[in-house]
Amino acid sequence: MAIAGRARNARLLVAVLVSISLVTITIDYRQGGSGPLAGLGRAALTAIAPLQAAVSRITRPVGDLLSTLANLPRIRRENERLKDELAEARAAVARQASLEARYEQLVKLLGLQEALDPPTAAALVIGSGVSNFEWTITIDAGTEDGVEVGSPVLAAAGLVGRVVEAGPTSSLVQLIIDPDSRVAARLASSRETGLLVGQGEDDLQMRGIDPATEVAAGEPVETAGYQGGLYPPGIPIGVVSRVVENPAALEKFVTVRPAVDFSTLEVVLVVLSSRAR
Amino acid sequence: MLRRVAWVALVVVTALLLQSTVFAEVQLFGAKPELLYLVTVAFALLEGPSEGAVVGFASGMAQDFLLDQPKGITALTLTLLGYGVGLLRSYIVSPSPATPTLLVGLGTFAAVLFNRVVAFLLGEVTAGFAFVLRVALLTGLYGALLTPLVFPVLRRVSARSRPPRVVRW
Repeated sequence: MAIAGRARNARLLVAVLVSISLVTITIDYRQGGSGPLAGLGRAALTAIAPLQAAVSRITRPVGDLLSTLANLPRIRRENERLKDELAEARAAVARQASLEARYEQLVKLLGLQEALDPPTAAALVIGSGVSNFEWTITIDAGTEDGVEVGSPVLAAAGLVGRVVEAGPTSSLVQLIIDPDSRVAARLASSRETGLLVGQGEDDLQMRGIDPATEVAAGEPVETAGYQGGLYPPGIPIGVVSRVVENPAALEKFVTVRPAVDFSTLEVVLVVLSSRAR
Repeated sequence: MLRRVAWVALVVVTALLLQSTVFAEVQLFGAKPELLYLVTVAFALLEGPSEGAVVGFASGMAQDFLLDQPKGITALTLTLLGYGVGLLRSYIVSPSPATPTLLVGLGTFAAVLFNRVVAFLLGEVTAGFAFVLRVALLTGLYGALLTPLVFPVLRRVSARSRPPRVVRW
């Protein structure tokens, strides 16, 4: 009897609760966001927000741990994707930096090209010397472009060297730092001339300077441009890096640091008509 | 009696807070556990259909006010869930430790489906039956997995807050 009564009471209770739920649904559905229930909802959110914030602060490490564990496969995939994107972005930045450097070189070269009397051909550096004992580069201009053996090669910063082998579409250029290289040079201030000899990785040596000549470190050195010589006059070569005074010597010992950074060389100009000069 | 109400209210509020903080971040395969469904089933199993329905109603109503859907849907769902599980209790002849786990899993699965059907009838946008089914299955599974951890705590709370039995001669 008591059990039947409890069951009846339970059914009645459920009927009431279900009715309240249905009425709530109906009222909220009809009134939408402007009704009293919506206002009650906003109040509930406002009331529970500080509690949520407090619980979040306490349980965040646990939540983060669980979330991390739950999302491990996705995190791993995302990590891989982000790594790929980072690599691509880094490559793009590197390409951009390279392009900017090349652009600057080209702008300077264009200025130099316009300033030079003899015609010139621009060429890309496509390779460096394979030997440890030769300081050369390969450029993508050859006889088809008017390049000849002996043609001077310039960069925006100054003299690079001369063509020692010319193929139809590419040429080998001996750099002025090659020990076999000889360049007639002039000190920009004193106008004293001498012969620049390559020293490989070390600074160039300028030979034949009169011991009485006043030479200071930092003095610019340029091509001398003798009549019938290889190089046009006035092309910057570098600056004096060291001067060794020795009154007993027959000539002054001067070293010259090249103006061109050969390790970053990308674009050069080949002077085409030097032989004709 | 007041003590009992206070304890149940504390359980519901705690579950709601945990549901909206810790469990809100634990989303595995597109679903997260439903702690209030677990609480409802647990109380229904421990105390019967009446208390199951009341706890379900209170839990559902509390959750409804934190959801952006017509209020009352979760209250209706959990009221029926609590009542249904409470009724089932009388048919369980030999309860085993796995009973709560099984009932939480199945109950949550059925209740989530029911909830979405009601929401659908009220014009709530649902991302398709397959999605609902998957979420219902996963939610049931997560609830079942949580039951061995949560159910003993709720049993202790329920036992402690139960009014002392009065024996009349």
